[in-house]
Amino acid sequence: MPEEIILETRGVTKRFDGFAAVSGVNYRLREGESAGIIGPNGAGKTTFFNLLTGMFPPTEGTVLYRGADITRIPAHGRVGRGIVRTFQLVSVFDSLTVRENLVLALIRAGKEHAVSARFFLEDAWSGNLPDLSAGALGTVGLREKALWKTSELSYGDKRKLEIALALCLRPSVLLLDEPFAGLSDVEIVEVLELIHRVRKDFTLVIIEHKISRIVDLVSRLSVMHEGKLIAEGEPAEVLADPLVRQVYWGRP
Amino acid sequence: MITTLVYGFTIGGILYILSIGLSLTFGSMRIVNFAHALVYTTGAYFLVVALRTLGLGFLPAAAVATVAVLPIAAGIERFIIRRLYGESLDYAIIATYAVLLIGVDLIKWVFGATPIPLSDPIGRDVGLFGISFPLYRLMIIALAISIHGGLYLFFKRTIVGKIVVAGLEDKDAVRSLGIDVDRYFAIVFLVGSGLAALGGVLYAPITSVHPYMGFQVLLICFAVVIVGGMGSLHGTFLASFALGMVIAITGRYWGPAAETMVYAVMAVVLIFKPLDV
Repeated sequence: MPEEIILETRGVTKRFDGFAAVSGVNYRLREGESAGIIGPNGAGKTTFFNLLTGMFPPTEGTVLYRGADITRIPAHGRVGRGIVRTFQLVSVFDSLTVRENLVLALIRAGKEHAVSARFFLEDAWSGNLPDLSAGALGTVGLREKALWKTSELSYGDKRKLEIALALCLRPSVLLLDEPFAGLSDVEIVEVLELIHRVRKDFTLVIIEHKISRIVDLVSRLSVMHEGKLIAEGEPAEVLADPLVRQVYWGRP
Repeated sequence: MITTLVYGFTIGGILYILSIGLSLTFGSMRIVNFAHALVYTTGAYFLVVALRTLGLGFLPAAAVATVAVLPIAAGIERFIIRRLYGESLDYAIIATYAVLLIGVDLIKWVFGATPIPLSDPIGRDVGLFGISFPLYRLMIIALAISIHGGLYLFFKRTIVGKIVVAGLEDKDAVRSLGIDVDRYFAIVFLVGSGLAALGGVLYAPITSVHPYMGFQVLLICFAVVIVGGMGSLHGTFLASFALGMVIAITGRYWGPAAETMVYAVMAVVLIFKPLDV
């Protein structure tokens, strides 16, 4: 049924100086599903995310959101429509406090609460932002670190903060780019548990390099290799695919 | 010696007012904006127009000149700078240098190339440590320090300031929070340009107004930005006064080397702290 496709690409290609990082990808994401994209390093997964989120325009092809062409809509505009992402290298702002990070993420949500027009941070803070941000911080378990300088957080806590920022943006599609990269085993378990807890609220796409981590998390798996989608389907089915096995383990 | 110090502080104050916009544009948009020097020169010429043609007093003339430059700066941002986002550094240098050259020729066309001398707008001296100084210069120093304080509060206490600080750190991450970061960088660009115009206005009575006055200070301002660290408020502040002092002190003992010494300092800084762009 076409009406339940929330995000779609048609023949999306991105070339950098002639090199096709993403090549003719047709991808469909169904509303409410949790999908995974796997592939070796350099397969084009992050470039594909950048095309979905509008970090740069594709060389060819179109991106559709709920059936509408959003190819030319810039990144910040797509966030407004509910397409939210995190980065492979955690992207929080070290020079700000945890709370100030949240203020930035809530500027959009704040518009509905008539606080974003406030010029001074203290004024903004006295609005509805404390409740909203306390909720997001509580979800990721960082509430007591709200006044910390972000640079003092552990890498795992920074990842949780980044996810809190994403949650503040009230995503309808959340794209996580290797959320476990650089985390300790304990932190991986915590972040996995966190994703499990919140994922029912939105459609989820998760890029991962290690297949085992997301097999339980996603209902559908896509495999990228050299900029192309080479397989797609239920995780077990995809992992049994000879081509995928060839790419990953060098044998069918 | 104290005269030299006050002279150094005056140059430092002017350098700060001029360089901070350059530094923030470099730090936020990764654009080396040579047109900054045009904004500075235009500010000085608008001051001349406001003083002589409109017959205003110095304070209103200074205000009018500074504000009148803003639409020009906005035009440069809208039609030149914004098209250079994400392009390579040298592209921006060539494009903004072209703007500078065209602008300077326009100024020559309209006002001629003859230097226009202006008199000290206050014309009063104050005694300090038994030596008398032009009050105007002391006021420039005070103004530079208050501008620094104002910018510090802006970045420390306001939401717009925080967005810019975050954007300096990671522009894409700010975009991913649904914030049109370029719009806020444009605000910073305008504030920086306004300050450059103000710098031209303030410095005009000390030197003289001529079409090439921008070229003279441009390279020194780059030295300030490089020594202070691009996008760094405090760094630019300290580097401005340090290099102002270098110019004043070198100038006292060996006049011709005053500006060369600035580049010597810059070279030393670059050896120990290479530019990361």
